[in-house]
Amino acid sequence: MSNGHPLLRISKLAKSYGAVVALKEANFVVQPGEIHALLGANGAGKSTLVKILTGVIARDTGIIELDGTSINFTSPDNSRKSGVAPVFQDPALIPDLSLRRNLKLTHTNELRFLEELSKFEISINLDEVVNRIELPILRMIDLARALAHDPRLLILDEITAALPIDMAEKVVKTMGEEKAKGNSVIFISHRLAEIEQVCDYATVLRDGIDVDSFLASSGSEERIVAAMLGDKALVQASKSFVQRTSQESVLMAKSISFGRHLKDVSLSLNKGEVVGLVALEGQGQDALFEILAGEIQPDGGEIAVHGRAVRFKHPSDAISCGISYVPGDRKTALLPQRSIRENLAITKFRTLKSWRPINQGLEDSMVNKAVSDLEIDTRARSQVMHLSGGNQQKVTIGRWITTGFDVLLCFDPTRGIDVGTKGQIYKLLRNLANEGKSVLLFTSELREIQATCDRAIVLYEGKIHQELPYEMCDEEMLLNSAHGRSVL
Amino acid sequence: MKISAREQSWNLSIFMLVIGLGIWQAQQLPAFGSYELRTILLGIIPLALLAMGQSIIIIGGGINLAIGAEAVLINILTAKYGEGVSFTKALVLALTGLIVAIAIGALTGWIISTSKIADIVVTLATSFVLVGLALFIQSGPGGSTNKEFSELFTGPGQNFLAPLLVLVLPLILIWWPLYRSHSGISFYAIGSNKEAAFLSGVNVSRARIKLYATGGLFAGLSGIAMTGITLSASPFASISNAATLNSVAAAVLGGVSLAGGVGGLVGPALATLVLYYIPTILLGYGIDPAYSQIIQGVLTVVVVLIGGLLRRKGSSVR
Repeated sequence: MSNGHPLLRISKLAKSYGAVVALKEANFVVQPGEIHALLGANGAGKSTLVKILTGVIARDTGIIELDGTSINFTSPDNSRKSGVAPVFQDPALIPDLSLRRNLKLTHTNELRFLEELSKFEISINLDEVVNRIELPILRMIDLARALAHDPRLLILDEITAALPIDMAEKVVKTMGEEKAKGNSVIFISHRLAEIEQVCDYATVLRDGIDVDSFLASSGSEERIVAAMLGDKALVQASKSFVQRTSQESVLMAKSISFGRHLKDVSLSLNKGEVVGLVALEGQGQDALFEILAGEIQPDGGEIAVHGRAVRFKHPSDAISCGISYVPGDRKTALLPQRSIRENLAITKFRTLKSWRPINQGLEDSMVNKAVSDLEIDTRARSQVMHLSGGNQQKVTIGRWITTGFDVLLCFDPTRGIDVGTKGQIYKLLRNLANEGKSVLLFTSELREIQATCDRAIVLYEGKIHQELPYEMCDEEMLLNSAHGRSVL
Repeated sequence: MKISAREQSWNLSIFMLVIGLGIWQAQQLPAFGSYELRTILLGIIPLALLAMGQSIIIIGGGINLAIGAEAVLINILTAKYGEGVSFTKALVLALTGLIVAIAIGALTGWIISTSKIADIVVTLATSFVLVGLALFIQSGPGGSTNKEFSELFTGPGQNFLAPLLVLVLPLILIWWPLYRSHSGISFYAIGSNKEAAFLSGVNVSRARIKLYATGGLFAGLSGIAMTGITLSASPFASISNAATLNSVAAAVLGGVSLAGGVGGLVGPALATLVLYYIPTILLGYGIDPAYSQIIQGVLTVVVVLIGGLLRRKGSSVR
């Protein structure tokens, strides 16, 4: 296939959405048999580039060449037929259809698909309706479906963000296999360790321009981060906070049980600390957070706030007790068509008991303070759906800061967010702790525990497996513990 | 190919309801047999076909408020020019009517896709246009059709076989192949999640045009059935509006989710029987029709409520 041409060459690609420039002048070359990392902060233009490449949106200007011939994909079907198979950031399966009908919709061979899926050690009934399948499994199904088309160029946009560690490893292994077959992979991820581990080449986008492109190797991390951030100051992810232990329990859970998800879970959150919850996918963390936030009721056990026993029948009960919940899926927390201002203020005015008009001056000052404290990019202020993922996440946290709270439950707040914004969120959580607030943080990225948490609690198969003091919270120990091994 | 258990349980519940109401009503009659069943089927065929068309469109994430007007227009066209014609000419007229109905549907879908105006607004507007058109063609009740053509629907004998075929054949010959085809899957896809459908390679605009065209086909069949069964046509908006609203009620009762992407056509067809039985049974008890309207409304909400709860229970946590 290779006749001196690269597999893919993108030249001077540009795309604007109204006044917002997503891609200014992006250049990008992928050789056959290469795993190429595409990197950049949120809003750098990665997703736009992928969407143009796969025919989802049309470019303004620029040239895309596949095997030396200029191409112009007008639909995802189009690109798939040319051997370009994407796995998008959001699952592209139809929720109300069975898996079998989804495969038929995309003209995917069932046997080939099952063969690919069996490599991930996943077995599934093809008549299962998609909306009853869990997200991590769906991501793997998406990947298997793409592979079943035998693509020459596989595009993985943030596939590992929603995956537990063991499945992410399978994705990495699959990329290696594709490479061995002479196929290429474009890999987008915020997990730099994965990039170093598997990628041959890395291209970094910033503000819609390719700012750096180099051979990836161990130790590329600094160069990547520097290129992504440009002249913005590098945020250190090492310990840069003071632990202040207090024995005053703010939130206490005792012997919580919930179906097969949670068994006898007890934990306590003290004033002014950030506690990390470590767990592989599906160990019961979802249920635990939802119980603490009052979204679902446990089968058994007690919850106490400031030493007083409480029973949450509704999230508003938890909010009244000072417990705020930042869910993993930003889209469920925000009002996408409304402005930043309204999204920030909505929980504040929950407390208004009448239909009296809102105090505009107060709202203004509150919102402005939150925007500047959180460094929210307000270019797309009129509708939060136009904000980048990182900025949306800041809004979901910011609304609770404007409201006031004692305990913040953060479920994977940095999923799919760039390094710079991640740093800002760590700093924010630490500041909250310094102000005497308590934070329970679940994260799928273990290095975050060390960067933000005072101690870690490991959940394994619905039970508290271990509690680790800060000194033991390095990535390796956490990983071992999360897999159910004892490290104490 | 399996249909999901949830869908089957809904169909089964509606089926049981129909059987129960059927027995109830049969007891009010001096005799119940093939002839009575024939009368009932002939009574519901136009609405059942219309409800199927509406259901397809709702499954695909749309709604057609002009579907009753489409059926009435085809009814008018085939009845007005059908007076004293031969069997062949009546067939040609029916076929022309179907083509017109499909074309109107396709045009509606195209307008919605290109203008990006909400389905409900576009079809509300087209309903006015179509009713006006029907009145323009024939200003009052009238028309007829060939007798043998009419017997295609009512049957030469006095048994229920012909009407049953009229009800079942469209499901077997049109819906079943469509359900299994790529186009049919794409209807469910755009109704369930347009974004994901697009990413799966579905041309959303084209799928929507096909969707409304298929809905139009069923509306056309409904209009032709009206002509065949009643041998006449009335152009009044009150008829088309009632038909449209009942088609939505039947779709919803039959397990089609107004959110799109969920449901089938068998349920709505059975649900039209429910809509038929309730007023008839109440009338048998001498209850004021005004009450029966209220009871029908309450029952619709209750059934949909129970169905919704069943569905939620069936789906996984959250």
